Amino acid sequence: MEKNIKKYFPVFLLPTLLSFVTVFLIPFLMGIYLSFTKFTTVENAEWTGIDNYIKAFTQDENFINALWFTVKFTVVSVITVNFFAFCLALLLTKAIKGRAFFRTVFFMPNLIGGIVLGYIWNLLINAFLGILGLDITYSADYGFWGLVFLMNWQLIGYMMVIYIAGIQNIPEELNEAARIDGASSLSVLKNITIPMVMPSVTICLFLTLTNSFKLFDQNLALTGGAPGRETAMLALDIFNTFYGRAGWQGVGQAKAVVFFLIVAAIAFTQLKITARKEVEA
Amino acid sequence: MKNKTSGVKNAFWFSLLLLLSFIFLFPIYLVVMNSFKSKFNIVGTPFRFPDSETFVGLENYINGIKSAGIFEAFLRTLVITVGSVAAIVIFTSMAAWYIVRVKSRFNKAVYYLFLFSMIVPFQMVMFTMTAVCIKLGLNSVLGIIPVYLGFGAGLSVFMFSGFIKSMPREIEEAAMIDGCGPVKAFFAVVFPILKPTAITVAILNAMWIWNDFLLPYLLLGTTDKTLSVAIQITMQGAYGSIDWGGFMAMLVLAIIPIIIFYLICQKYIIKGVIDGAVKG
Amino acid sequence: MASITMKNIKKTYEDNTTVIENLNLEIHDKEFVILVGPSGCGKSTTLRMIAGLEDITEGELYIGDRLVNGVSPKDRDIAMVFQSYALYPHMSVYKNMAFGLKNRRVPKKEIDKKVKAAAEMLDIESYLHRKPRALSGGQRQRVALGRAMVREPAVFLLDEPLSNLDAKLRTEMRSRISLLHKELQTTFVYVTHDQTEAMTMGDRIVVMKDGVIMQQDTPQMLYNHPQNMFVAGFIGTPPINFIDCVIRRKNDGFHAVFDRFDYLLPKRMYGSLSLYTDKEVVMGIRPDDIHAERYFLGKNGENAIELYVEIAEMTGAEYYLYATAADKKIVAKIPAGESVKSGSYMRLAVDTDKIHIFDKVSEKLICD
Repeated sequence: MEKNIKKYFPVFLLPTLLSFVTVFLIPFLMGIYLSFTKFTTVENAEWTGIDNYIKAFTQDENFINALWFTVKFTVVSVITVNFFAFCLALLLTKAIKGRAFFRTVFFMPNLIGGIVLGYIWNLLINAFLGILGLDITYSADYGFWGLVFLMNWQLIGYMMVIYIAGIQNIPEELNEAARIDGASSLSVLKNITIPMVMPSVTICLFLTLTNSFKLFDQNLALTGGAPGRETAMLALDIFNTFYGRAGWQGVGQAKAVVFFLIVAAIAFTQLKITARKEVEA
Repeated sequence: MKNKTSGVKNAFWFSLLLLLSFIFLFPIYLVVMNSFKSKFNIVGTPFRFPDSETFVGLENYINGIKSAGIFEAFLRTLVITVGSVAAIVIFTSMAAWYIVRVKSRFNKAVYYLFLFSMIVPFQMVMFTMTAVCIKLGLNSVLGIIPVYLGFGAGLSVFMFSGFIKSMPREIEEAAMIDGCGPVKAFFAVVFPILKPTAITVAILNAMWIWNDFLLPYLLLGTTDKTLSVAIQITMQGAYGSIDWGGFMAMLVLAIIPIIIFYLICQKYIIKGVIDGAVKG
Repeated sequence: MASITMKNIKKTYEDNTTVIENLNLEIHDKEFVILVGPSGCGKSTTLRMIAGLEDITEGELYIGDRLVNGVSPKDRDIAMVFQSYALYPHMSVYKNMAFGLKNRRVPKKEIDKKVKAAAEMLDIESYLHRKPRALSGGQRQRVALGRAMVREPAVFLLDEPLSNLDAKLRTEMRSRISLLHKELQTTFVYVTHDQTEAMTMGDRIVVMKDGVIMQQDTPQMLYNHPQNMFVAGFIGTPPINFIDCVIRRKNDGFHAVFDRFDYLLPKRMYGSLSLYTDKEVVMGIRPDDIHAERYFLGKNGENAIELYVEIAEMTGAEYYLYATAADKKIVAKIPAGESVKSGSYMRLAVDTDKIHIFDKVSEKLICD
């Protein structure tokens, strides 16, 4: 029968494969090649070796700045988002009135697109800063914390929902057994709840990590990198290099490869950790 | 005694959550509220509630729709989202089934390539992909659908094949014995069984495509604007002379369909998001 | 109505494991053939090759006179019942049964007639509008049968159809399927690992092991004249006793000897045994052929011997005795009328007429 199905390759696999190869695979391979060339369009590439990579790290303080900004932002976001999301999940798994309503409200921002989100927060933050006669482009710190607030607003509900699912998966007998053994609420949280939701924690940590690291739309809409390029994260910096700096397309592509390698390393780490967990379980 | 303290405790937590809900809803409230104020009374006094002087009714909405072509952008986004989601659900489920059922080295390699694409950031292929797609004439409202199919393939094939692997093969075999060829067996028997996963895949992709900015910006540019693109270029293009009223109205118009969609299919969306997160 | 012919069939999987080396099998029109063997013996693969669900690596498969190697399942005029039933979960019972006919563009009225007739025969009329998940295992099983029946196929394939049912239901379905075969007058090929099913249902049983047919015959012949140790051991509960012994030629004829046991073998065996004089062989004797009845002991006194009975298991109508003789376990089945106790000695006699002698190396039958 397999032979029989195999004949239907053009019907089943070809449409998806063709699209995938055209819009992803070929551009990906071209991208790697172009990062070693100087070009303005994909047709006039000239081999320059690792020139672009050297330029990206030595002649472009924006890139280093973006890298640091992104790392700082990611660390702060991952910690705050997960902390608040976990607390909310704990609260919303207790017998509290209106749980469904609260869950609905907290999750909602997650559905709003990055551009719209960015401008909503732009309005809000400028409204507050306006009282002091300032706005978000006044200092990179404002942009930084603005992005952190925005990220929290967007992702807390999402992570909370995953934590809730994790907490609800803990068998009730376990909590009961702990209580019979004389454990306090705090000790149940420390010894039962947290260890049992570790799989959810891993998922959420990596989701926030990759989401924060790859952030683009929100960054573009909220600060656009201002003041100067100080609040441009990696994705935005790469975009700016490609489309804002003539002759630097090759450097943009080299930055993109570096960006890809970092994201791949994060994803690979996650894969390793998940695989190890599965062996233990 | 115990009941009383826990009652007090609960009341405390309830109030806290209520307060948090207000904080969460405040940004949306602010935008909606300002969208009914005249464009000169937004930036200076954003917190002031519209009064007889500043209230302009639906004027901002009418202006926004007229000037920025929001209505067209809305329709365009709808066509792109619906078309791409339909293409993704149908074609990636077929691809996943084929990959799982026909065991060959080629298919295995294709599967891992799909997985691999999930970890590659868009910036990596942004420039070259744009060049290729423009060359192939995919820079149109309908042309972007196969582009989304290519980018959506990773997660979608992954989710479908996860489900198909757990699906008993006998049901398909029974269908083939009952007179179906592979295509009919897939659509009459396999696809209906895949429905829960199909809903999840559809929701995840719809959320992404509806809100997507960079891909339509690069391929459709400013002529065939989607909602996100329209909003971004309204803001970007008009230093100083921005119509804040119309802009507020645009933001509200972009949010409303999502919120309606969310309130209607909340159950599926949350389930879809959890499934997508756990598997992806 | 069709016969099935398999000629030199070979099956190798993608990972280069060969499950069937060279299979030759002829199934006659309207025959009820059972493929039986332990798991991994290739019986299911054989059935699935007949169905067209598994590609044939080498050899020829005919249904009727037609070579069907490359023919897809839908064009083979077969129907199949799966172990897991494989009902379409999103269709009602009625639609499940009608699906195959609809695909073949049978007029609606006729579909309706056939589905209802089959439903009546299987007592599932009242569930026709339910979904499969609202049915019990036994009901699902009957729907699966019905789905195959309405098609009126030339060949009926059943892959362990009763394995997921409880013991009581299984007995009931066994007779139902036998009856169905009589009524439908179609070729049935039935795969099972359960020898009771095999013995009670088939016209002919094909015993398989490691992709090779060990023996094919009627149930009686398989039981009474197994051609090798595998078949002898596979069929019958409790299983046959195998005892290593030596063939000795004495004045009165050939004897099978081990430890303090010495059995004079029947005359019909002498021709085959002459080559085995003073050689080691394996003696097979079924538990039912070891007796404790007084009249039998009287008649065969010279065969009777005192054995230590470790455990005597009472099953109602009979006792299973687990005895030891010269460190060997021997199982005997005797009527419940005898008085037996675990941990006691007891006189038992072997019916020498029922002894099977096997070659120790090739495990093939020498004589019985």
